[in-house]
Amino acid sequence: MTQTRINSVLLGITPIVLFIALWQSLISFGFAPTSLLPPPGAVFGKLAKDFFNGDFLHDIAATLIRLFAGFGIAVVVGVFIGLAAAVSPAINAVVKPLVRVLAPIPKIALYPALLLILGFDHASKITLVTADALFPILLSTYYGASMVEQKLIWSAMAAGTPRWQILFKVVLPAAMPSILTGCRIGLVISCIVVFLAEMITSTDGLGHMLVQAARTFQTVDMFVPLIMISMLGLILNSLLHWLRSYLLRGFPEV
Amino acid sequence: MQVVSLRSDAHTDAEPVSGRKSSGVDSAAAMIEIDHVSQRFQTSGKQSHLALSDINLTIEDGAFVSILGPSGCGKSTLLYIVGGFVQPTDGVAKVKGKAITGPGPDRGPVFQEFALFPWKNVLGNVMYGLRQQGVKRAEAEARGRKLLEMVGLKGYENFYPKELSGGMKQRVAIARTLAYDPAVLLMDEPFGALDAHTRTRLQNDLLDIWDRQRKTVLFVTHSVEEAVYLSDKVIVMSRSPGSIKQIVDIDLPRPRKRADLLLDARFQKYIVDIEKMIDDGGKDHL
Repeated sequence: MTQTRINSVLLGITPIVLFIALWQSLISFGFAPTSLLPPPGAVFGKLAKDFFNGDFLHDIAATLIRLFAGFGIAVVVGVFIGLAAAVSPAINAVVKPLVRVLAPIPKIALYPALLLILGFDHASKITLVTADALFPILLSTYYGASMVEQKLIWSAMAAGTPRWQILFKVVLPAAMPSILTGCRIGLVISCIVVFLAEMITSTDGLGHMLVQAARTFQTVDMFVPLIMISMLGLILNSLLHWLRSYLLRGFPEV
Repeated sequence: MQVVSLRSDAHTDAEPVSGRKSSGVDSAAAMIEIDHVSQRFQTSGKQSHLALSDINLTIEDGAFVSILGPSGCGKSTLLYIVGGFVQPTDGVAKVKGKAITGPGPDRGPVFQEFALFPWKNVLGNVMYGLRQQGVKRAEAEARGRKLLEMVGLKGYENFYPKELSGGMKQRVAIARTLAYDPAVLLMDEPFGALDAHTRTRLQNDLLDIWDRQRKTVLFVTHSVEEAVYLSDKVIVMSRSPGSIKQIVDIDLPRPRKRADLLLDARFQKYIVDIEKMIDDGGKDHL
């Protein structure tokens, strides 16, 4: 590891350490009673212990399934519609007003309806995650695909690429930087929405765990799922970052 | 709004146009024939702009022809029509006697902006056309490596375009186009974005390649000196509307050496004469 890389990692960790120190000092100096704000040591200790607890692992699994399924469907549908709208004026004419009408709706407002239609299990939460993550991915795919350099397409066509293949051989890879940016936003939104949905109505999952703990004043248990979802977000974002630098290895840095 | 255009209103002219005879030049040797081609662009509002007005031109097989003119004279548009990227509003462009209805591997473009695929490395870019032509991977790779050696980029196979200088990028683009062996090279100000030194080296290398392969080259440029140095024929265009002002035959011996030509009075006279032609055109529209 180079010196600059070590430095930037240190710089990145510092505020997190400071934040935990501030949290601890609030308790140490008596600003908040331990019964209401548990010390970070207790929370992390409980988190470590919970990893050997079947119920906790089940909650994590439930949240992850909803997150991945919802986000995955959003990527497939968003990229597909975004590409189609960018290359076909007819599809664009159909999709554009629909997106304009649906995008500003707070998707969480659909959740009661989704619960009634799809029930309390995975389906309603997955649908909600998809609905929320879809639009940033769709829009960034559309703009990325719309702005593909015309001469890249011409170069491929002159080399003998049939028109129908241009979409997959040129437009999709050329729009990849923009698509992945949309995915990144969509992933963060997915993390937030899956947790929120589980908090509102669920029988399992990290969000449900938090609400249960809050209702019974189990303050330590209340912070454990928060730390967990934040760690999941960090891990998933790192994975996406790694995927991004692999897929975009030939693109100029933006 | 359609921004990426995958379709074009291909207008096939299967039946011969009666009542019009194409330029009367021996069509056996003609590689490209441009017959009464006009191009009108819709500008904002109801106005339209005549980018090309009634262009007639025949380019023989194996000729190196430059198109020269002020910006906005439609010289790139003319090149795109031959490439099949743009459909003319009127008239017919033909290659080897067949009406052009779209891009094809018989006409290979090289653009000023290089237009390399950023997601492919240098070898991948050069292999692209071969793979599209159905050449097996191993053979395409071998031929790609050979082409890269020919354009002086041996050892750069695994580099990505972003890691190369402008001159090297354009060498890759030329190799990528030569790979599928087009009969016609369509070069759209290919050296316009390069510094003077790199430009000279690429001009010389292009002449070397052309001497060996004798492809028909249609070369759009701003530089009078470049046009005279490279070409058999220089087409001088004027704008508003874009039309052919004059066609100058460059009668200089080949192979050409830049150092010799710079001292050659005939070379200098061509440059001065053509510059005057362009200047006269400029006065009318200033």
